[in-house]
Amino acid sequence: MSLSRREFLKSSAAASAAAAIGMSVPAELEANAKVAESKWRWDKAACRFCGTGCGIMLATTGDGKDRKIVAVKGDPAAPVNRGLNCIKGYFNAKIMYGADRLTQPLLRMDEKGNFDKHGKFAPISWERAYDEMEKNIRKALKESGPEGVGVFASGQYTIMEGYAAQKMMKGGFRSNAFDPNARHCMASAVVGFYQTFGIDEPSGCYDDIELTDTIVTWGSNMAEMHPILWSRVTDRKLSDPDNVKVVNIQTYTHRTCDLGDFNIIFRPNTDLALWNYLAREIVYNHPEAIDWDFIKKNIIFAVGPVNIGYGFRRAGEKSITPVRPDGSAGKYDAKEMEIYNKEMSKVVSELEGPALEPYGYKAGDTMKNIPGTLKHHEITFEDYKKSLAPYTLEYTANLCKGDPEESLDSFKKKLQDLAALYVEDGRKIVSFWTMGMNQHTRGSWDNTLAYNVHFLVNKQSRPGAGAYSLTGQPSACGTAREVGTFAHRLPADMMVKNPHHRAKVEKKWEIPAGTLNPVGNQHIMKIHRDIEDGLIKFAWVNVCNAYQDSANAKHWIKAAREMDNFIVTSDGYPGISSMVSDLILPSAMIYEKWGAYGNAERRSQHWRQQVLPVGHAMSDTWQWVELSKRFTVDDLWGPYTLRNGTKLADVRQEAYKMGYKPDTTMYEILYGNERAKKQYPLALDKFPQQGYDNSECLGDARNVVGTDGKVFKGYGFMIHQYLWEEYAFFGRGHGHDLADFVTYQKVRGLKWPVVNGKETSWRFNVDFDPYAMKHAKEAGTGSQYAFYGPLAKKLPFGDLTHVTDKTKKSLANKAKIFARPYMDPPEMPDEEYNLWLCTGRVLEHWHSGTMTMRVPELYRAVPEALVYMNPETAKERGLEDGKLCWVESRRGKVKARVETRGRNRPPKPLVFVPWFDERVFINKVTLDQTCPMSKQTDYKKCAVKIYKV
Amino acid sequence: MKILTKITIGLATASLLLVGCSSMNTQTQAKAKKSVVVKPTAKTNAMGMGYIKDVDLLNDDVSLPTVAYHAAPPGAAKKIKRAYQDAPPMIPHSVEGLVPITKNNNACLGCHMPDVAKAMGATPIPISHFTNFRPKTEVEGTEILKNGHVIKNGSSESQKNVSIKVNHKENKLYPGRFNCTQCHAPQATNKLVDQSTFKPVYTAPNGASKSSWNQSKWMKDINTQKSE
Repeated sequence: MSLSRREFLKSSAAASAAAAIGMSVPAELEANAKVAESKWRWDKAACRFCGTGCGIMLATTGDGKDRKIVAVKGDPAAPVNRGLNCIKGYFNAKIMYGADRLTQPLLRMDEKGNFDKHGKFAPISWERAYDEMEKNIRKALKESGPEGVGVFASGQYTIMEGYAAQKMMKGGFRSNAFDPNARHCMASAVVGFYQTFGIDEPSGCYDDIELTDTIVTWGSNMAEMHPILWSRVTDRKLSDPDNVKVVNIQTYTHRTCDLGDFNIIFRPNTDLALWNYLAREIVYNHPEAIDWDFIKKNIIFAVGPVNIGYGFRRAGEKSITPVRPDGSAGKYDAKEMEIYNKEMSKVVSELEGPALEPYGYKAGDTMKNIPGTLKHHEITFEDYKKSLAPYTLEYTANLCKGDPEESLDSFKKKLQDLAALYVEDGRKIVSFWTMGMNQHTRGSWDNTLAYNVHFLVNKQSRPGAGAYSLTGQPSACGTAREVGTFAHRLPADMMVKNPHHRAKVEKKWEIPAGTLNPVGNQHIMKIHRDIEDGLIKFAWVNVCNAYQDSANAKHWIKAAREMDNFIVTSDGYPGISSMVSDLILPSAMIYEKWGAYGNAERRSQHWRQQVLPVGHAMSDTWQWVELSKRFTVDDLWGPYTLRNGTKLADVRQEAYKMGYKPDTTMYEILYGNERAKKQYPLALDKFPQQGYDNSECLGDARNVVGTDGKVFKGYGFMIHQYLWEEYAFFGRGHGHDLADFVTYQKVRGLKWPVVNGKETSWRFNVDFDPYAMKHAKEAGTGSQYAFYGPLAKKLPFGDLTHVTDKTKKSLANKAKIFARPYMDPPEMPDEEYNLWLCTGRVLEHWHSGTMTMRVPELYRAVPEALVYMNPETAKERGLEDGKLCWVESRRGKVKARVETRGRNRPPKPLVFVPWFDERVFINKVTLDQTCPMSKQTDYKKCAVKIYKV
Repeated sequence: MKILTKITIGLATASLLLVGCSSMNTQTQAKAKKSVVVKPTAKTNAMGMGYIKDVDLLNDDVSLPTVAYHAAPPGAAKKIKRAYQDAPPMIPHSVEGLVPITKNNNACLGCHMPDVAKAMGATPIPISHFTNFRPKTEVEGTEILKNGHVIKNGSSESQKNVSIKVNHKENKLYPGRFNCTQCHAPQATNKLVDQSTFKPVYTAPNGASKSSWNQSKWMKDINTQKSE
């Protein structure tokens, strides 16, 4: 029995109309509706949104171009979420169907059709768009070399997209001005992993939730930001309420706190002191809790410099030159410079003085800052112990108490109760954190401090126990970190500065030795600053919203709009980055392409293309591959001198020796090469390709006219599989092992390393991690653990302030405990700007809201960003709920509505404003301070004043 | 009041100065910079794109829409149509005084538990919410156990490992579903920033108002390896 499309629509419309008015449906029509469902195709996919990485089941129906998503349900087989999604997860069904999807390339033009930076956007062909891109990239390369071509990359790229972009940027353009929005979300966690374990990504897995007795959240509103993990925590807590304890350590009360046995509200940035207090409690007052056998076999102690600034521009940079008598400098006014000047030197405050004493500073001293550095050296346990001395209960409580309404005694009791949970023999404990500890002016320190406490009591890398960094974005782990779409990284934890790593990549990519650029310092804030300095002339925004998501946004918008450069944004919808751009490219969205994401428990998950993209939209993979056709060996592989004097060799002769010609395109080398075509042919009659669209490989029913002016007919080989397998090569055998492409199409993800077909749940523990087993065996230590990460595993030795022995000593298979003090952030509330501003997300919206603001149910759930504040804070300023106020910092101001009774309940000194709302553009107010080691922006604290509109 | 006005004027002047010295907005500064052709741009958003339309991104004085939520108290509200078959329903009534949901108090359950829902005129919580799909997770020595079985991969034996434990008495909510506001949200009555072209297809006769995701459907279509 078949149903025509017309009949089908009629029956389902009648059924829905009938339901709306509550009448019964004739049996015949009801039967037809069932037939309609029988035409639905259900397939598995990963959720588009957060780092939890839930599995969804997705139903599509219709033919060819008309196939659309009609429903989403939680996947009962997905281990992460077992049949349940959060509100955003369910509305994956609607994210691609906003009426203002970008459907064709748009260029700013004058009336004659020429590019005009001040013109209005008008539709153009893909060919014209690529002509403009090519022209402007050539111009940028000529004027500034590879450093002049920048890309705002993403933790929301699919793994294959990120890898395709990485190849062209680093292999083709030889540019490392390639850094993801994941820099803003995960970089401090990464430094924490590298410094502590020598390898990136968590040791545990989500099963820790079911296996633990204690969940402590630090700077993480899991109930809204990782709702499905929170549902697992809630299940655990409510199923065993007396034994299982939940404690939340936050700067304001929020939904996560509603499940807490107790909650600790602390002053922003002082979580550094809280971790040190816990370590001090263990070391000084509960030495019996230290597992010395574990420590001796597996741990060393370390320290690095503390005078490392705040990641601002440093004196002498072009845009803050000249410095004028009134205090202003270059493009920055005097008020902004009040804070920026602390980058070079600062006066140690009364608050941080005691904490800095073991490091040779006291309150009132001037601290001269060096640029942020990852350098560190080994110290003795005795020196580490000295570094903890200041964090007495008295000092810590006075420093950290964040709610003036709470009594000091009550706060002290909570600190003691918290310490007791970590110390309790046999109590399993997991510490989860997200942006509160990562978006932090000392985020890298904060991350390492968490492992300290877990190591001291041997509650790390064990089922149900560990310090656990939760990632924010759906593939911050899978793409940004594992593929290495960062300025300084290559796949599988390899680094551009390491000649062996570059050689390995050059060999696999079949590009000449010496092609890859060894200087990788253009992190995402540096890309903005390099545009403002006039160095970067071409920038491309990929799968992110760099002009809404970056702190101190006005500067970057002005630089993009008012200087001589060419900015391109690829997106599904026109967000702020599109508006700021010169050229907009329409991108296929998530289920309009084949893809894979990697979540925060090292789980890689693949999906197939479910529907055709809208209009002329094409995937970001296609956009990169098409760009590669525009550039040849002779175009890109000549000599360059970088701004720091480093010379990139002329590798053209080498290329010719490899059989390439002067006019061989990057496409022929990096993507459509012989090995790709031979090893990954299309297999349309077999699983997983059978029955599924594949716009990049086959073209599709839309007959999109491509970048050469001809109908795009597809690459003719399985490019997604090629990109996956080539990328996976780098990690196999090195503790990052991924399974093959087809396996992932069958399973609901696997946690790497996948060794002999088996995933790994707990790393570094010989019981569960084959690599730990191998390394422990080789080392002959007989230890239960092997912290085998290879990075920074040879250290000099010294004390808390100096290196005393430069001889580097090997510490293979050991992890590190770091001495790291509390320090103030550079901007704190004062008389004029007298409140803390914290920014973040809400459950119903994703990041800058480009997708979720276009889903009616999500928009209506939270239609605007509110200023959440304490009722007293409002009263003191004459503000009322629902009325407008100004939120103003030294950098800018926004207007927003006051909320004192909402889901976020700050203490008096703090306000919270989410950043999803284009109209409440809060990043005009925030400060571009970063952790100076990780370069991750701290969006969680700056000083503002609030007053009536 | 007077002081406030003064501050505001002061601020306005300060921001004017800021624009003057820190941007390349004026012709003179543009000329000072060689080889750069810069014309003044009044607006960063030249095409009325997105939902902020023609708002200049550098202008702070943005007009914000007034927001109003459905104000009817529980029991008196008209149900909102589900977004698609088996989509989580949105909350049609005021939640004033009903949230937050805390570990000791979940006001939603007072009306929506199946045994009282009909009497209260509330949408009853469906069977899926009384069902736990998560296998019992244990570790014994070096083995990981799900529902007592040693597993190789948590995900590769998907069919076998799906565990469905329904509490047929429907009196004990699966605790993982305790945070109602994780999926169900009140709705503002505002005009949408943008229309959606999504078309729901309700396959059950009352699909716009009732969940049909029950035992008969949970395991259906779960095998995605079969060819079409």
